[in-house]
Amino acid sequence: MTQVVEVPSSFDDRTFDQFARGIASWDEKLLFDAHATQWASPFGLVGLLTAGQHATERAQQRPLLTIPADRDVAHYWAKAGFFRYAGDWFELHGKVPRVAASETSDVLLGVTPVRGTDDVHSVVETIQERAAAILGDLGLEATATMGFAMALSEACQNIVEHAGTSGWVAVQTYHWRRRLGRKVVVIAVADAGVGFRHSLAATQASRFGDRWSDATALESALFHGASRFRDPGRGQGLAGITRYANRWGGKVSMRSGTARIAIVPEWDDDAPLTDGVPAFPGAQVLIIIPAQDAE
Amino acid sequence: MTTIDVKQVLARTVSPTYPDLVTRPTGKAVRHGIVDELDDAAAVEDVALIDFGTVRVLDISCADEIVARLLRENNARYFVLCGLTEAHRYSIEQVLERHQLAVVGRDRDGRVQVLGTVTDTVRRAFGLLADRGRAAPHEIAAHLGVPQDAALETIQEMVTLRIAHPVDDLVAIPAS
Repeated sequence: MTQVVEVPSSFDDRTFDQFARGIASWDEKLLFDAHATQWASPFGLVGLLTAGQHATERAQQRPLLTIPADRDVAHYWAKAGFFRYAGDWFELHGKVPRVAASETSDVLLGVTPVRGTDDVHSVVETIQERAAAILGDLGLEATATMGFAMALSEACQNIVEHAGTSGWVAVQTYHWRRRLGRKVVVIAVADAGVGFRHSLAATQASRFGDRWSDATALESALFHGASRFRDPGRGQGLAGITRYANRWGGKVSMRSGTARIAIVPEWDDDAPLTDGVPAFPGAQVLIIIPAQDAE
Repeated sequence: MTTIDVKQVLARTVSPTYPDLVTRPTGKAVRHGIVDELDDAAAVEDVALIDFGTVRVLDISCADEIVARLLRENNARYFVLCGLTEAHRYSIEQVLERHQLAVVGRDRDGRVQVLGTVTDTVRRAFGLLADRGRAAPHEIAAHLGVPQDAALETIQEMVTLRIAHPVDDLVAIPAS
């Protein structure tokens, strides 16, 4: 029996719960249906690859994916690098556009696998080479660009250090006309690994007893610098990311298991902590830095 | 005084093609490389100038491995971090705060500052030394507006933090 999972028409962090809710069981043959999808953010694209990866690793067979019927949408997914890796984790149905992935002015970093420290170096190097584009688009100072690379590096390292499997990253700029009236740069990082609750259980769970959950694990990591390592130097990466986001009026959102936590700037209306969201494996991190001058 | 170019250590210990100090394993390898160079240097009580002048990105994990661990595990030595950008400082300040450490930093324009966790009094006394290079205890006392005994306590605190050292009857910033 094949279970059909609808990919939302507009697939981003706001519709990710709807997507996750559609996956009733990872043990069945899955068909991810994106034929009617009109738009996907970097968060949506890395989230979809994560779902494909998890389904493949769990069932030892690739799930099906119907690619967007809209040619422009499929072209955009190709340009963003999605199809470079999608074939490894999905049995693709539909015509894959013959468009080479490219780092265009808005795609600062196409969908990229994060498997080890070499990949983190490579990701940071790519972003630094495109630093001028970030500066130009967002009116950020050079310091902010350097800090951006730091935040990107720390977010990717969470996969290498804690996930227990590989993951994905993508970086893109947008013009958020309706939502913010400004340009933003978005970092999306996702993995289908063990998640925060499992990763931190050995060092943190006993402090919480029955209250230990995905939500308390996220709170421990984000607000208290908790780490699975007992070294006092560990657990600073997320603090660095949130400090950076606060400094530049940005947003940080982390989803793991059945909870989501966010550092919410004044321009956004997300909840600081949402417990009981539909379960999804691993951890997904979203960092949004807005342009400094409203247009 | 021993000067160590961190970018050269990165090239030697990790990869000659990496331009950035990112990831914890990279930081660890670079720290071991720095310690090896320090071991080859003559005096343990030496001042070590750690040069970040050609480093682009320094993330927090790397800063923790290189700077915080270096300070924690080599507390007989004076360290001065030079060639810093504001972004480097951002990562370094965070790890120093976590470990309640301090160190002397010099930016790419040559401005000297104390980085990390220090009291306001220590910061003000350090400011005087940064302006003059060195000062006598009575000058520090006058600058702080405190009796000399209190100034001596502040000087001792700075020496314990390894951000100043006694030179004859004066107090100086390492490598000033």
